[in-house]
Amino acid sequence: MIRKTLVAAAALAAMAGSAFAASAWTGGDDLPTNPLACDGTPGAAVAKPYDGGEPTGAPDRKGKKITVVDVPKLIGIGYFNATSKGIADAAMELGNVEAKTDGPTQANIDQQITFIDNYITSGVDGILFAANDPVAIAPVLKKALSKGINVVGYDANSQPDARQWFVNQAEFNGIAKALIDNMAKEIGEESAFAIVTSTFTTPNQARWIAEMAAYAEKCHPKMKWLETVEAQEDNVLSFNQATTLINKYGDELKGIFGMTSVATPASAEAVTQASKCGTIAVVGLATPNAMKPYVEKDCVKSVVLWNPVDLGYAAMHVLRAVADGDLKAGATSVKAGKLGELQVINGSEILLGAPFVFSKENIGQFDF
Amino acid sequence: MTASLRSLLLRHETILGVLLILALIALAWQSDRFFTADNLLNQGRLMAEVGLVALAMTFVIVTGGIDLSVGSILGLVAILLGVFWQNMGIPLPIAMVLGILVGGIAGLVNGIIITRFGVPPLIATLATLALYRGLAEGISQARSVRGYPDWFFTLGQGEVLGVPTQLWIFGLLALIAAVILGLSTFGRATYAIGSNAVASRFSGLSVDRTLLLIYMASGLIAGLAAVIFVSRVSTTRSDMGTGLELDVITAVVLGGTSIFGGRGTIIGTLLGLVLMQALKNGLALAGVKGDGTIVVIGAVLIGTILISNIFRKDADG
Repeated sequence: MIRKTLVAAAALAAMAGSAFAASAWTGGDDLPTNPLACDGTPGAAVAKPYDGGEPTGAPDRKGKKITVVDVPKLIGIGYFNATSKGIADAAMELGNVEAKTDGPTQANIDQQITFIDNYITSGVDGILFAANDPVAIAPVLKKALSKGINVVGYDANSQPDARQWFVNQAEFNGIAKALIDNMAKEIGEESAFAIVTSTFTTPNQARWIAEMAAYAEKCHPKMKWLETVEAQEDNVLSFNQATTLINKYGDELKGIFGMTSVATPASAEAVTQASKCGTIAVVGLATPNAMKPYVEKDCVKSVVLWNPVDLGYAAMHVLRAVADGDLKAGATSVKAGKLGELQVINGSEILLGAPFVFSKENIGQFDF
Repeated sequence: MTASLRSLLLRHETILGVLLILALIALAWQSDRFFTADNLLNQGRLMAEVGLVALAMTFVIVTGGIDLSVGSILGLVAILLGVFWQNMGIPLPIAMVLGILVGGIAGLVNGIIITRFGVPPLIATLATLALYRGLAEGISQARSVRGYPDWFFTLGQGEVLGVPTQLWIFGLLALIAAVILGLSTFGRATYAIGSNAVASRFSGLSVDRTLLLIYMASGLIAGLAAVIFVSRVSTTRSDMGTGLELDVITAVVLGGTSIFGGRGTIIGTLLGLVLMQALKNGLALAGVKGDGTIVVIGAVLIGTILISNIFRKDADG
């Protein structure tokens, strides 16, 4: 029997040994990267034909009242509360949309699929989504398209042919540049930093990390990446992971990147509790309200993000434009209420704008 | 005659069956899209993975044990399926079989830790829950595997004679499980161990062998569920199946299987499973939001078990 145990242990060890090669920084994906110029010259837009999907047999919805469901990655966190508010604002402004937000309480692919599936059965006219996994969500979104439902994504994309349009909050290389530039400014060119992310496979975070690695190599080659750690999108876990990083690397660690709206404040809290304010910089993506205490105490200098209320607002306007037939394949821009004209990029994506850096001077003006 | 009729009426399964019918009527009343063949078959597709694992879990809990590692085994097998196929270049059908076998080995390891080293099942599988998930994440290096061939999707997304493929597999295995637990000597040994493991040992039952087989089956079937899950969502991720064990245990316990062992049926588990899925789906269609649905399921679980216990005391008294 002991021999059997040993064999089983050996088998498990062999399985662990079959891990395959990683990229420059852990947590990045292996798609091609496109780092921006170091001096801030904007990247050139590449013309690309429409690559989104089309609903089959969609009824004429022009000007008619439509019901729309918004299924974010998860509900009950500040970020998606803000997008949900933007969607509700736009729906109220449009007047002919009934929108509601519903979704899983954990960022779980299986549960998100089930939610969307149920809403397809209940017969909505439009679906807004932020994907937990770009491939896993595709079959259920294709099913929605096949039932004539208009499908628009925001925040986290699916495979392009599984939805019609995707509202891109900021291009990945733009965010990556903003994060790395601000970190370099705070800790200097020759310092080391670590990254706290959600999971290594979460599409946005993986893309950003890959772009950050590429941009850092091009424009700040002497900065040293130490480690990327996973913290789901969990408060306690993020705090613990950041504390572990601080203890593990000691004086070598000069900066922490928070890749989610949960990881950034949790990392700032870990730095505060370790009395390392001023010695360890925290730069990351987060909502202003969560960061205000740390920014006001000068513990955090730059918070990078777009405005999630605007993101939800734009997504709702895009969905309405698609349902009305005003936004068709081949369009180069779309009107989005108070945001004005938004540009179409990458075939079937709509760009919200350049990323925004919250600092001590401006953070007080925001409330989300 | 009246006594046996009374005991039949007061069985947990009967109470649960009545509750299920009431729930189905109420939910169909709330939304005209609930009681359609299309929706019901689709729900069958969604519950197949939890259902499969719940079949083996019924055996595990009837022995007085528990297997918390099933969700992690599912994640591990899903990742290995991708690694075997894409990174090692093993043909997909063989990779599927190998993946399921790894699930069996993972289950066997649980069984060995429990029987050989006398570790309580709760502790042993809590440890392997972390261990297997860690392996899955380590092996995957957080890469997901995609681009499976089209034929593979018939398992999770296709249908045979109008019924989702995985429902046929689930139905067949449910039948086999019901026969083994209800009618075979192996089934009687399972109940005996759950009622009194020491007495079973002294009665000459091979307790350890039975337990090993049951935990191994639990791993195997979690492996099978993993393959179906990958086929359904068309990608492999290391966080697949997180929290699955809780859904599975809820279905089994709702189905009247005693957490202390010795009591429980496959029919009960099926009823528990269907009731849970019907509530999740029906409430969503009736416009109840996700957080409300979880509250209702929790309330139904407590309520059902209380009612059943009150009647049982009556019957015993």
